[in-house]
Amino acid sequence: MEKPKRTYRFKRIDTHNRTSIGIIVLVIILLLVPAVMHSPYYIHLLIMVGINAALAMTFIFLLRVGLINLSIASFWGIGAYASAMLTMRLNLSFWLALPAATIISGVVALIVGLLLCRNSGFGFIIPTLAFASVVVLILGTFDVFGGYVGIVNIPHPEPIAIPFLPVIEFTSKTPYYYLMLFLVAVVITAFYAFYSASTGRAWRAIGLSSSLAESLGVNLFKYRLTAFIISSSACGLMGSFYAHYYSALVPLTFAPFPKTIYCHIFAILGGIGFPFAGPAIGAFILTIAPELLRATGAIEPILTGLLVILLVLFAPTGILGLATSGWSSMHPSESIDRIGKWIKASLPTSRTDRENRK
Amino acid sequence: MTASVAMQLIVDGLAMGLVYVLLASGFNLIMTVPKVLFIAYGEFYMLGAYVLWGLVLLGNIPFLPALCLATIATAILGGIVYRLIFQRIQYMEQQFLTNIIAALALSMIIAQGALLVFGTESRGMPSIFPGIVNIGAITIAAEKIVLVVLTLAVLMGLNIFLQKTNYGRAMRAVSFNADVAALQGVSANMTCLVTMAVGCGLAGFAGGLMAPVFALSPKMGSITIFVLFVVMLGGIGSMVGAILAGLILGMTLSFGQFFFGSGLSQIVFFVVIFIILYFRPGGLLGKAEADIPI
Repeated sequence: MEKPKRTYRFKRIDTHNRTSIGIIVLVIILLLVPAVMHSPYYIHLLIMVGINAALAMTFIFLLRVGLINLSIASFWGIGAYASAMLTMRLNLSFWLALPAATIISGVVALIVGLLLCRNSGFGFIIPTLAFASVVVLILGTFDVFGGYVGIVNIPHPEPIAIPFLPVIEFTSKTPYYYLMLFLVAVVITAFYAFYSASTGRAWRAIGLSSSLAESLGVNLFKYRLTAFIISSSACGLMGSFYAHYYSALVPLTFAPFPKTIYCHIFAILGGIGFPFAGPAIGAFILTIAPELLRATGAIEPILTGLLVILLVLFAPTGILGLATSGWSSMHPSESIDRIGKWIKASLPTSRTDRENRK
Repeated sequence: MTASVAMQLIVDGLAMGLVYVLLASGFNLIMTVPKVLFIAYGEFYMLGAYVLWGLVLLGNIPFLPALCLATIATAILGGIVYRLIFQRIQYMEQQFLTNIIAALALSMIIAQGALLVFGTESRGMPSIFPGIVNIGAITIAAEKIVLVVLTLAVLMGLNIFLQKTNYGRAMRAVSFNADVAALQGVSANMTCLVTMAVGCGLAGFAGGLMAPVFALSPKMGSITIFVLFVVMLGGIGSMVGAILAGLILGMTLSFGQFFFGSGLSQIVFFVVIFIILYFRPGGLLGKAEADIPI
């Protein structure tokens, strides 16, 4: 009688350990990257990977509620312009402008979402596209926002003193890298918290079948609006960081084609079943690959396009989906668990581990 | 604003709008029969324009045969692309999103290829039908009349093709339900391939038609976004809706450009779309779909 109980307990602890080991190893590797890699160019690429990954995560976030959002890049832009305006016109500190920009994009999402979230399907996709085009046109047409030339000389973040650490000054790329890691971690933590809460369960129900969820008493409009606001705020957060990191903004960066579609590509190529790992892997490959192919000169977009088509044809469930050969995982903890499994498998195995595997 | 200026603007809007109608009906076909949101559509429009430009200026072929050749060339390319890429995706899970991604990658390839072959500078082309037609106090450029007449003729032809021929019937059957159509002996793959060829051929035709009017540049492919709006505004799969929406777009752009300038007129158009789609999520004459096939 005791035996099955013990194996069950043992397995549970083991799963838990695998997940945490996976996360800890990943975080340590990411934290150590600037110590190993000294070229500011590669650090820049990694920062862009982080931004792209976070944006792609917001895409999956909404996709699970059954909505395809084509205004990711515009909320990113709203956050960026809001932050730039607040620091340059009102002389706010970056550390105040960052949350302020997040809230501003959330408020814009609330206003737009009140109109949009009543519809789903193409009734949602196309109005978001119209909204995205309007945002670019407004940013470009009105002189307050600097027109199509854009804004330059956006101030860098002020030096910040964190207890037990030397004062961090944003002079090289490395502090930005750590700030990016922190912000992406904030986004992931927030999304994960929502997925695990009752809100997340309602979202999953809507994503599986909206009519079934509605029949069970889930208010579609309310939950879709919440998801839209949260994902857009996350876009605004990354936008504010991007504005102060890049220190120049041009409206066309925030056009739905190609930026938003690229975010979709990152997420889909990584694997839609993996809300955090999928976008990260997709963004990593598709941000690094064009840079590696840059040596080929002008035919670089052609090669990238071919790469995307081949990936789509031969890895239809995404790279992670192909690697784990399954489309079953719809809960985020499982995908993290899988990464933990791989990392654990690649680590030198201890004796107990080998025994467990038997 | 005098009557003649108003008339001029209406004719401009009509010509512009009809080209959008042409593009939108091709896009509609691709969207309803193989169910691909074909973002690379604008690139076929661009290719059609460049093929015509090459045939007329470099090959010294007269305009109308060159237009036919441009249409056929883009149609064949569309068929090849369907066979190579999209036919494989039809049988995958989450084919809707995968199709979009493949189409976007395709448009990247074609746009960059055109940039390499034709260069970044925009190219002009002499007007094929110079001259002016006077109707009372109104003067209209002859090429606009030719454009309107040709577009209307092709739209009529397309309608007859869809309603009266076997291929047209097969297309409508597949768009209704591919499985049921297969039970009746209609090959879904072949029908989708023909649809793709016809749709891309329409894009190439529109491109060739616009080549003498507008300057050519590899960036012409960005017209897709407007085509998408026209299709959605009219309602997916609705020909009459596409005509209505295309004319709304043409008139808004031509009158808006006169009154507010280019930037504001586009903002007005997008706001109009926003409002219409809020009240009618399926477009003017379409049905709203509750869930998209993710």
